[in-house]
Amino acid sequence: MIKAAEHLDHESGNGHGQAPEVHPVRVRILRQDVAGGESYWERYEVPHEPNMNVISVLQKIAALARTRDGRRVAPVAWDCSCLEEVCGSCTMLINGRTRMACSALVDKLLAEDPVEIEIRPMSKFPVVRDLVVDRRRLFRSLERVKAWVPVDDSYDHGPGPRISPEQQQDAYPLAECISCGCCLEACPQFTKIELSRGDAESEADFEARRRQAFDANFVGPHAISQAMLFNAHPTGGMIADERLEALTSKGGIQMCGNAQNCVAVCPKRIPLTRSIARAGRAATVWAIKKLFDR
Amino acid sequence: MPGVVAAGPPPILPKVSACDGDRRVPTAACSTPRKPPVSESSFLERNQFLIYRLFSLSGLIPVGAFLVVHLLTNASVLGGAASFQSRVDMIHSLGPLLVPVEVAFIFLPLAFHAAVGFLIVANGLPNVGSYPYVGNVRYTLQRVTGMIAAAFIVWHVLQLHWLGTPVGGGQFDPHYASSSAAVAIRPLWVTALYAVGVLSVVFHFANGLWTLGITWGIWTSPAAMRRANAVSVVVGLVLAAAGLGALGGLRTLDVDQARATERWMEEQREQRLPPSGETSTVQPTSTTGKGE
Repeated sequence: MIKAAEHLDHESGNGHGQAPEVHPVRVRILRQDVAGGESYWERYEVPHEPNMNVISVLQKIAALARTRDGRRVAPVAWDCSCLEEVCGSCTMLINGRTRMACSALVDKLLAEDPVEIEIRPMSKFPVVRDLVVDRRRLFRSLERVKAWVPVDDSYDHGPGPRISPEQQQDAYPLAECISCGCCLEACPQFTKIELSRGDAESEADFEARRRQAFDANFVGPHAISQAMLFNAHPTGGMIADERLEALTSKGGIQMCGNAQNCVAVCPKRIPLTRSIARAGRAATVWAIKKLFDR
Repeated sequence: MPGVVAAGPPPILPKVSACDGDRRVPTAACSTPRKPPVSESSFLERNQFLIYRLFSLSGLIPVGAFLVVHLLTNASVLGGAASFQSRVDMIHSLGPLLVPVEVAFIFLPLAFHAAVGFLIVANGLPNVGSYPYVGNVRYTLQRVTGMIAAAFIVWHVLQLHWLGTPVGGGQFDPHYASSSAAVAIRPLWVTALYAVGVLSVVFHFANGLWTLGITWGIWTSPAAMRRANAVSVVVGLVLAAAGLGALGGLRTLDVDQARATERWMEEQREQRLPPSGETSTVQPTSTTGKGE
């Protein structure tokens, strides 16, 4: 990591030799060199171009690898892939709000704050480096509620049950989830779990401890919604009870505080609060069944 | 799903664990050991769902139901000292049963609701600064008003209920309901604190009514939530009017006149004579000490 100040002795400032943009884009980024390390702000400035998004700003910063005051630094690390709000990997806190960097357009951000764009890593997941976070808890939540159709074997089951167009229309919005984690970031009931491996702890023991911490805390709105998606599916619904058991165990749906931030920040506009209310109803029925049917 | 099942045979799922055979399920689910050496979970952890649901229910029944009765009873002071006194007498006609009823249906559920509520507040991380949406503001207010309500109720009970007598409270005299309450809230700062307390409690109840419907899955669609919200707002406004109305009624009460009325009513009871006029349904009350 080239963090030490290395002032340029030639060409102070921007020395591109071409007419500079009238309004360069100013950015401040909360950086962190290693997991569990100290975080620190750095400021950058890149030339403005039409239709820029935050990813293109980050790409220019990486190419520049210099702070606004000319210090040479290691390029900022970040995650992204599809650049069209489908892969869900570029979630960041941009101007204080969780969103996808690919669909965060610079001109709109400058309308919010004309001075500077602020970029931070997600605050509910441990930082790996700079803007890269470890979101394995998000995926562990999907495992907890068995967010899949359990047909993984080599038998030919023939055609499955048909799904009516009405059911399809109901389910499709839930299937649009891209596991971006925006709902978790904005949820006041979902709080960060950051563990570090003890000196004498084996990797397996650490993994078990982390798994236990994940499983004891809130699954999150995305997993509740996926549980409802697969419970509504004729084949997926065959293990509906297992999902409801997971949703009513520790860290389940009862942890929801009805702030409804999840549905407000979801980039795919998934009706998460409808899923949560439906899960609440299913959990009510499930709890009564469990009490009286055994 | 009945009715839409195709002609083909229903899929038969062999009883295989997700960890056998084809591993297209996320492999982390199959990592060993299947059950890691976990520490024993506590009673509270194992029954978290049940406890949180009882918490939600207790906010409506009996705590919320009591709140509605309490505020509407108080508002009867607007109809005069006799009107309020006759209602208080009705409550105190329970006699020696009043204390067990208070403990079982008010104090214990309230203490349970408050204890779980503190736990919930402690585990949340309000972020209304970053996400100033209406729902999030309400989430935060629900917690703030819950804390205010807890402090207010403790103070309110000690100030007026006979339980507070050892600490200089217990100012409410059920035989002189309106006049003793009016004297107790007379200082402006007391009335102001009551207004804050009552409005906090009412918001907490009305907003809680709305979230309870989501928690239990009574209203699930956004449109149903909006309709339920309108109902909750009306409930809140009615209760706020009743609560503030009672405060206004007590402040504008002629204490001497009220005391005269109450003394006359008490004499009627002590003589075990059926009171005349509109209070003829009042039952003679037990004289076993003061209740709420």
